[in-house]
Amino acid sequence: MSVQPGDRHGGSFASDVWATFVRWTIKSIRNPFVLVVSLVQPIIFLVLFTQVFGGVATSALEGVTYETYLVPAIVIQVALVAAATSGIGLVNDIENGMFEKTLVSPMNRIAVFVGKTLAEIVRIIAQVTIVLGLGVVLGAEIATGLVGAVAIAGICVLFSVWFTAFSNVLAVVTRDEESTIIGANLLQLPLLFVSSAFLPLPALPAWIQTVATFNPITYGVDAARAVMLGEDTMTVLEITRFGGMWDTLVPALAVLAGLALVFGSVAVYAISRAASADVR
Amino acid sequence: MTDYAIEARDVAVTYADGTEAVCGVDLLVEAGEFFGFLGPNGAGKTTLIKTLVTLLRPTDGSVTINGFDAVAKPRSVRATIGYMAQETSIDPELTARENLRFACDAYGVSRAERGGRIDELLELVELTGVADKVADNFSGGMKKRLDVATALVHQPPLVFLDEPTTGLDPAARNRLWEYFQRINDEGTTVFLTTQYLEEADQLCDRLSVIQDGSVVADGTPEALKQRVGGEILAVELSDPDESERAVAVARDESLFAEGAAIEPTESGLAVTARDARTRGTDLLVALRDADIGVVGFDVRAPTLDDVFLAVTEERPDAESPTETADVRTETGGGGGDSRATTVPDDGKTGPAGDADGVNR
Repeated sequence: MSVQPGDRHGGSFASDVWATFVRWTIKSIRNPFVLVVSLVQPIIFLVLFTQVFGGVATSALEGVTYETYLVPAIVIQVALVAAATSGIGLVNDIENGMFEKTLVSPMNRIAVFVGKTLAEIVRIIAQVTIVLGLGVVLGAEIATGLVGAVAIAGICVLFSVWFTAFSNVLAVVTRDEESTIIGANLLQLPLLFVSSAFLPLPALPAWIQTVATFNPITYGVDAARAVMLGEDTMTVLEITRFGGMWDTLVPALAVLAGLALVFGSVAVYAISRAASADVR
Repeated sequence: MTDYAIEARDVAVTYADGTEAVCGVDLLVEAGEFFGFLGPNGAGKTTLIKTLVTLLRPTDGSVTINGFDAVAKPRSVRATIGYMAQETSIDPELTARENLRFACDAYGVSRAERGGRIDELLELVELTGVADKVADNFSGGMKKRLDVATALVHQPPLVFLDEPTTGLDPAARNRLWEYFQRINDEGTTVFLTTQYLEEADQLCDRLSVIQDGSVVADGTPEALKQRVGGEILAVELSDPDESERAVAVARDESLFAEGAAIEPTESGLAVTARDARTRGTDLLVALRDADIGVVGFDVRAPTLDDVFLAVTEERPDAESPTETADVRTETGGGGGDSRATTVPDDGKTGPAGDADGVNR
């Protein structure tokens, strides 16, 4: 009746990743509310801002329509919203017991993390594609073409890491769905407004320019916008050694990667602590 | 080569805030046994079960599950056990079948096997008809049944059930009991925690009773009930102030078998005796002869509260065990003889020596 060592070990790393990916993908497809509703606010922003501010803003921009200028900000907003839902997913898992159920199974914990993250990346790419498509319909132009569109999706994925990590930390610290939603959403709009998202920074008050320098959103938007326009768009850091849009892309991506590393480490620490310590 | 499904030696779990949830528990459960772990809320049941299933790391002592050390080889332990948490744990956004499929993936059940396995389990827990419905709309009992099924996908030789029937209606509870009995009959070792003596009585071959983090008694359900000293007759008097006199009457008449405990309660008196049921009417007659008005009486089997009272020197100071909160809880437990029974593992139940308070 006794079990011999080596009898059972659960699945492989890849199958653990796949199982988790499938579960989260089923959940987001089954709940189109999340998929669609999380797009509503960015799309409203896109449509209203271009209609309301378009005329004024376009005259302030040099040779760029406001549609083209705004789309990179909106895709970053989409990434922010998606990142916020990552923590909500985790808190739901903690509340409905699936978090513990996974911990008590032989699944590889890193594989579980990877699987959930993959599902979120796929979702971000899908949503960014939708918004880019809508932007083009509204008259925005991607100077770097299809390759640029793919690059923008990639930037959004990299950008989402720090906020995903942040919302997951909120989830394990508060263990409460509402707190996580409020905490993650509360920051969203102010962060967007005190960045380079909606208007060129030189046109904004000095204090906003200062805050924007330390605001991760500035780097995400600047990177996406550089690809969108095919030129150097960054004003918070003046770098000229790479030439053209790379003067924006290189420093912005470096900042985003650094943020991802720092926030990601904190999140991994917080989640693994929650996984091994007193769970309740 | 081990004969034990669970081998826990001197296990202590101290939380980071210094709470000693489990102190020095020894536990040996043989393969094939249906083992019950009884205790009130907060006694340490869940902490112990989480330690056994590798969710918590013991502060002190050793845990061996199916021959694997729980600290050194947690993955091997996890792969060879099923665990059903106290709170129902299913993904409400998935269908019953998808939940089971995910569990199969999590436990590495091969694709060839899993189709048939899932159908079998759905059949066992009677969810075949709603297999492709989203679990969110299930009743509490259906969710519990699905949860049981997900714990069994890999046919584990050992299953942990943490208060599996708490909060269920009697019909749902009876159904679950049947499944548990069936998997045990098929050779699966079952470790069950419960607050209900009735549940343990119905299912378990052997029990341990835990209180304040220590095992205070163990044995078969029969043996434990024996320690209570029989059934409990509670009499409610029209004038509770007369309860002392009523107790005197009951004692003078020596109506009950030797070892009976007769005690006053807030509303009257309570008798704990092996023949409480058969001699109850005699007591009522005697009380009437003594001109003491009786407004109600009740004979009941011993509950977990009574077992606690019988196996511990003093009443549990926590309010927790008063699940059946009525005046009869005031009943003094077994008579002097059962109280005199010393706690079997008294020597080991002291606070854990390791007080570093670290809990990982």
